[in-house]
Amino acid sequence: MIAIARGYITFLIRCFRLSFVGPAPYYLWMLGLSIVALLGLNAYCKQFVQGMGVTGMTDQVSWGLYIANFAFLVGVAAAAATMVIPVYVYRNRELAHLVIFAHLFAVAAIIMALLFVVVDLGRPDRFHHMMLRFNFPISMLTWDVISLNGYLVLNLHICGYLIYCAYNRREPSKLFYIPFVFVAIAWAFGTQLVEAFLYCGLGGRPFWNSAVIAPRLVAAAFAAGPSILIIILQVIAAFTDYRVNEKAYLTLRNTARVAMCASMFLLASEAFTEFYTDSAHVASARYLFFGLDGKNALVPWIWTSITLNVTALVILFTPLTRNTRFLNIACAMIIVGVWIEKGMGLVIPAFVPTPLGEIVEYRPTLNEWLVCAGIGAFGLLIFTILVRVTVPVLSGRLAFDTPYVAPDAATPRVPEASEPTTRTA
Amino acid sequence: MTLDSKGRAMAIWLVGPVFLGVAAWLATSSTSAPIPLRPASDVPRESIRPGAWRTPLKHANEAKVNGAVRPCSECHRLFGTPPEENRTLIQHKDIVLAHGINKRCLNCHYGADRDKLVLHDGTLIDFNETPRLCSNCHGTVYRDWQMGVHGKTMGSWDASSGTQQRLACNECHDPHAPRYKPLEPLPGPETLRMGDQRREEEPSKQHAPLRRWSMPSHDEPSKEEPKKENPS
Amino acid sequence: MSLRIWEGKSAGGGSDAPEMTRRSFLRTSTAVVGGMTAIAAALSPLKDLNPSEEFSLEQFIQKHYKEMTPRDMEIALDRIRREVELRYRVRPEIRDVRAKAGVEFVYALNLSRCIGCRRCVHACVNENNQSRSPEIQYIRVLEMPRGTMDMEKGDHHYDRPTVPDASHFYMPVQCHQCANPPCVKVCPVEATWQDADGITVIDYDWCIGCRYCEAACPYWARRFNFTKPEVPADRVNPDMSYLSNRPRPKGVVEKCHFCLHRTREGRLPACLEACPTGARKFGNVLDPESEVSQILKHKRVFVLKEEVGTLPRFFYYFDERYPNSIDPEAKQIALSLGYEGGADGMFGASRGGGVA
Repeated sequence: MIAIARGYITFLIRCFRLSFVGPAPYYLWMLGLSIVALLGLNAYCKQFVQGMGVTGMTDQVSWGLYIANFAFLVGVAAAAATMVIPVYVYRNRELAHLVIFAHLFAVAAIIMALLFVVVDLGRPDRFHHMMLRFNFPISMLTWDVISLNGYLVLNLHICGYLIYCAYNRREPSKLFYIPFVFVAIAWAFGTQLVEAFLYCGLGGRPFWNSAVIAPRLVAAAFAAGPSILIIILQVIAAFTDYRVNEKAYLTLRNTARVAMCASMFLLASEAFTEFYTDSAHVASARYLFFGLDGKNALVPWIWTSITLNVTALVILFTPLTRNTRFLNIACAMIIVGVWIEKGMGLVIPAFVPTPLGEIVEYRPTLNEWLVCAGIGAFGLLIFTILVRVTVPVLSGRLAFDTPYVAPDAATPRVPEASEPTTRTA
Repeated sequence: MTLDSKGRAMAIWLVGPVFLGVAAWLATSSTSAPIPLRPASDVPRESIRPGAWRTPLKHANEAKVNGAVRPCSECHRLFGTPPEENRTLIQHKDIVLAHGINKRCLNCHYGADRDKLVLHDGTLIDFNETPRLCSNCHGTVYRDWQMGVHGKTMGSWDASSGTQQRLACNECHDPHAPRYKPLEPLPGPETLRMGDQRREEEPSKQHAPLRRWSMPSHDEPSKEEPKKENPS
Repeated sequence: MSLRIWEGKSAGGGSDAPEMTRRSFLRTSTAVVGGMTAIAAALSPLKDLNPSEEFSLEQFIQKHYKEMTPRDMEIALDRIRREVELRYRVRPEIRDVRAKAGVEFVYALNLSRCIGCRRCVHACVNENNQSRSPEIQYIRVLEMPRGTMDMEKGDHHYDRPTVPDASHFYMPVQCHQCANPPCVKVCPVEATWQDADGITVIDYDWCIGCRYCEAACPYWARRFNFTKPEVPADRVNPDMSYLSNRPRPKGVVEKCHFCLHRTREGRLPACLEACPTGARKFGNVLDPESEVSQILKHKRVFVLKEEVGTLPRFFYYFDERYPNSIDPEAKQIALSLGYEGGADGMFGASRGGGVA
């Protein structure tokens, strides 16, 4: 028993030490991220001391950039399932060893999302109140807390178990991760659903009080998630010795294609319902797309988002995207387009006009942007460390019986599907 | 690159000084972010005082004219009151009569005894019973006032508590000019980061049923509608 | 399996990192020290925190209002007394006012009488120790053009020389203490709930400031303290209660509570007392003889946004219009409907018409 614990602690310590070791670009990357994270921490300290007034939020627009980013990140975290479904449900064995990166990304994204919730609280020092009086099952925020933390634990377990088994050169036991994987797939959808229910259960906000919010969020997430994974996998292929199967990009592209179609279809459906009916409830949508009473700060954002999304969709359907450069352009467009659509395009317009008809526009402050950048940098920091540790383990260069072996620049090691050390499926 | 390469060593050497530089920058920059607070508007307590708007005359012998306090009958024994409408007052000119069609002083005041008010059936009442007089013409309002629906209640919402006080008609309304004068509104909201809330143009006619076929506003010259045929 | 975890050495005898030289030690330690300094510098704004004012252990371990024993409440009230005295140099009379049995409060507002003078708004600010900078006001008065109940057409920021304006009516909106409150549903920590007498209350010491209730309210009734509230010391109202008008901390939500420190003791809300036209009516709807019961029975009452299903306890009603001679638009309408006006401009019973 003690030996097992000792072994695990050794593993953790070695991982910790390994995260401070790497080639020069690694140090520069981590340095850059740390600086941004520190700036974010500094900005948050100012917010903690002075109150939420340092953000651009007001009584009229009481949720802003933090919740917008939260919505986006929960979505992309859930979209880790997009990688998992082809591998486990459709038994695509070629991509099996890449699944772990999807889970790792989900972990980082969920941590970022939880951090965004914490910085959005007016009294984070009272966080423990949630454990003392929990308005479950009536309040959707309580469902959200459970679903996010549960998803985090699930993903941590799945990738932790697989990595530790690889470290110990042991084949992972199916019982300890396959059921969790399937639960994680369902839980991913559940997370998005609960997130959407936060918004669509409020009768006082007609822009949100629509059944199409949940499908829209899922569709947009499943378009942005694979796009992010495509880029991440290319980065991993470029900067580590890990060779990524080209087929992964095409599988993810197919998911993004379908999801983006669904997302555009749902957007068209919502736009029609709002503008054809032309009732007074359309005010928020009118503000978003065309501006209201001379106030039109969000109009350029939403049209940029729609342009990016549609262009990306068109590009994705052409054979152009067999070329990685075009694929990357399309992915970048999708990521930006979906971020705008979920953030500025979903969270903010519901507050304009207010339920009493007042129009107050929202402009995030520099402090707010710094906190967001800081959390983003922190998430990337975590993800980089996770990948930094995972790649050597999967390649067999970090194992319980050998000291760390640096990658040899001359002959990059390619994991073979038949190698017992790296079998994860 | 192997772990011992020069580039890596350079990168690690860079880390410390860069962090120290960032630390120095953070330490010397402001520790507070700007919040655009506006100066608080101060509303004088006088404007928001609770209670009755006027202190009415409760008894005839408390009447104050030209600085002197004497009962009404003292002067009015000597000077009679002409019964016609729309009189111009010679004494106590501060009383302005603007009571609609009620233009005759002796509609309410008892000519023979100015210390009393007179009801429609000739009953005489004191100045502290004015609601009975108002009810003679304003029956519907009086009915509402009795219910508590019209007028002001002070003290308590609980009639059985003993501290509830219903304000009499003339504690809000000047009996000679009962219509309220327009008030200057107190300052509107100036909330955090409100932005420019001035309304330049007319609200749009879209989704506004009455505005679409709006009546001419009181600023425009009024146009008389053609009279409809009187069925009777 | 090696036992020497501290050095991270494996059974193979080698170690993960190359041998440490003096240069590499210097290199690493510069980096580490630099990192620590940077973190400390990043955290430097925290030095402006005032622990005695902002955080106290007492407040941290304080229970939820519903779980407090009388002793707990005494401790909390003592703490609040101390904080108020320290900050405002005013000795408050603060108590915990509970709901009485057999009482359900309802508010009614006569839209024919409201002239939009905003005295209710500022009386409330005064009574409830609301922040002046940034400004928090529980009541919003909307200047509505005639012919519509669409609040988007309303103007919150009217600034006329005098009110009322003949072509508008005025509609104040504050918390309606709904019987089916969406704000209570969404609070994750149960910091807000509806008391037995219908008032939706907030435990300011329990709220975590997530602002979900503010997003959920269909009447925009809730306000958030974006900074520490600023109340001039000479305007502090020392008559306070735990759930209503004691000075709030930063980062929590507040709203109209029908002046429960007054109304639960039989008095009237401050907004009602300041209203110059008697447009506001308040009372116990469970008492059939009360003003509000009479209004609900006899007047043409309605509620805002009925379709949202919140069941507000705040009713609006109209009664008689202004006499037509004063209101030119009404005069036009009356003429167009066939009423004949007299030389004095009145349309009354004496003329055989019937405009009441």
